[in-house]
Amino acid sequence: MTATSTFAIAADPVLSVVDLRAYYRTRSFGVEREVRAVDDISFQVDANQIYGLAGESSCGKTTLIRTIAAATRPPLQVVGGSISFNFHGKRVSMTDVLPDALAGIRWKHLSYIMQGSMNVLNPVRRIRHSFVDFAGRHIGRPMPQFLELVRAHLARLHLEATVLEAFPHQLSGGMRQRVAIALATVCRPDFIIADEPTTALDVIVQKSVLTMIREVQRELGSSLIFVTHDLAVHANLSHRLGIMYAGRLVEEGATADVLRRPRHPYTAHLVASLPRIGHITAKSGLEGAPPNLADPPAGCRFHPRCPLAMDICRRENPPLIGPPTAHRVACFAAAQESNP
Amino acid sequence: MLPVLRDLLRYNRAFATGVILLAFVAGVAAMSVFSPYPPNDSFVVPPDLPPSWPHILGTTSRGQDVFWQLTFAIRNTLLFGFAVALLSRVISLAVGLVAGYKGGIADRVLMSINDTFIVMPLFPILVLFYFVMRDRMSWVWLALVMACLGWAYDARLIRSVAMSLRTREFTETGIFSGMSTRQILTQEHLPYVMPIVFSTAMNNINWSIGLEVTLSVLGFTDINTPTIGVMIYWANQHTAMVAGVWWWIFFPVMLVVATFVGLFLLAVSMNEYIDPRSRLSRMRT
Repeated sequence: MTATSTFAIAADPVLSVVDLRAYYRTRSFGVEREVRAVDDISFQVDANQIYGLAGESSCGKTTLIRTIAAATRPPLQVVGGSISFNFHGKRVSMTDVLPDALAGIRWKHLSYIMQGSMNVLNPVRRIRHSFVDFAGRHIGRPMPQFLELVRAHLARLHLEATVLEAFPHQLSGGMRQRVAIALATVCRPDFIIADEPTTALDVIVQKSVLTMIREVQRELGSSLIFVTHDLAVHANLSHRLGIMYAGRLVEEGATADVLRRPRHPYTAHLVASLPRIGHITAKSGLEGAPPNLADPPAGCRFHPRCPLAMDICRRENPPLIGPPTAHRVACFAAAQESNP
Repeated sequence: MLPVLRDLLRYNRAFATGVILLAFVAGVAAMSVFSPYPPNDSFVVPPDLPPSWPHILGTTSRGQDVFWQLTFAIRNTLLFGFAVALLSRVISLAVGLVAGYKGGIADRVLMSINDTFIVMPLFPILVLFYFVMRDRMSWVWLALVMACLGWAYDARLIRSVAMSLRTREFTETGIFSGMSTRQILTQEHLPYVMPIVFSTAMNNINWSIGLEVTLSVLGFTDINTPTIGVMIYWANQHTAMVAGVWWWIFFPVMLVVATFVGLFLLAVSMNEYIDPRSRLSRMRT
């Protein structure tokens, strides 16, 4: 009885994204453009899971998580698909949620550490004010109690309470980054979206920030989507890893699986590009450049650069087949290999 | 705030000079409380006396003491400048912040109004206002009209800053956390543009005083309320320079020049304060 119910909770994902399409649609001087930054993406994130998203710059990582957080602004539009959260039984569909309901779940249930997040603090205001402005409304407690809570949270994250009285530029980059994470987690959210929170930091500070993120995630038991193009960080942190290429999810699976046994040729090249100790030969790069998303190639978007490209790849778009918790890949060649 | 002022006074000569000049001018304006003569009475003292005790700056051809007249005149002129600057700051902040943050239609509508005000020639319009309103053209009305004409340049400046603030992460985070437009503008963006507003306020005071003096000298204002311009107007009416009553023109001009220079120096040294980094490097931790 107990076993079945725990199984039911575990099987119910916190976030499920189905066939999501989000395009940038612009119209100026009669020229209409449609940039398909997120095209047909489906995946799910389970409770207490760190889901890593990797891919090169401009492959649509930020667009994807912006759409998931319902933080889209024109010209970005959700064209199709669904995004649904399940916060302990409270179901929210992000594609048709009302602004009031959205305000109710943000910060409390869903929080977002933005790209360049060391700049989320207003440079001309003390950090205390940023906490009050951004998080205060979601706690619903009088000011002294709220500040008490913030101090306790900072202490948990090994930050001194004196940072509250500082201006952002009095702190170092790593410190600001940690304050930004504290700001995003002060309401103990169920789901955290982190967009490249360690990109601007050197490896030592990066390590301490990653440790902090992992600690917070463990303590709150929340789920986390972690975006970075740094595969080494993913290897350290993520439980499950999704690889994006040109607006599509091309491969996903348990991090170790994806990194050790990549099945998609793009992932294979990505992993092979990582330098290892002992390597003495020069790395050969992949020919070509990522496609223009305003006019993507027909069929598989990777085919112009793919060494395994077949006829079908130029005509048809390979689907991501398999159950959402398995190691899945969107590639005709890889599918052929596994079941000949 | 106080330590910053003290440090600016100590280490920034332009700021110190500006403060001393303005303090002097403000002191003269404050003396108006002690004036033995009402400002609008004429022939209360012997006319055309050169500077000498007890009339230290001489007397006018209208039988008024130049020094006591000057205290009223500079008081009204300063009040006028502050009133115009304050009102026009409110308009330019509202227009600039909303246009820059909202963008789109709101921006286009507000900026077309703004640009209309920028290209309009102000001086003929002010003269026109005088001819339409005649005797009703009081000090308060003139301040209102000038405030309504003098906000456009600074609104554009504030808009340009607000446009860049709109794309900053802290604005995005504010929107994400559910702050309303009003809250974002007043809590996040207003503190950011405040130093610019202070700096432009100084220029705006200078501009409005200059224009008021010009209008008054030509007689296009209420000539019964003493201001610096009105004093010069009466001096011209009595051909003071030809008659050798130079003190009637010299002292008002010197005082208003001191005001201009003082405000200019303050506006310039404000730049030191505008940059939060230089502000912080002086700050005690």
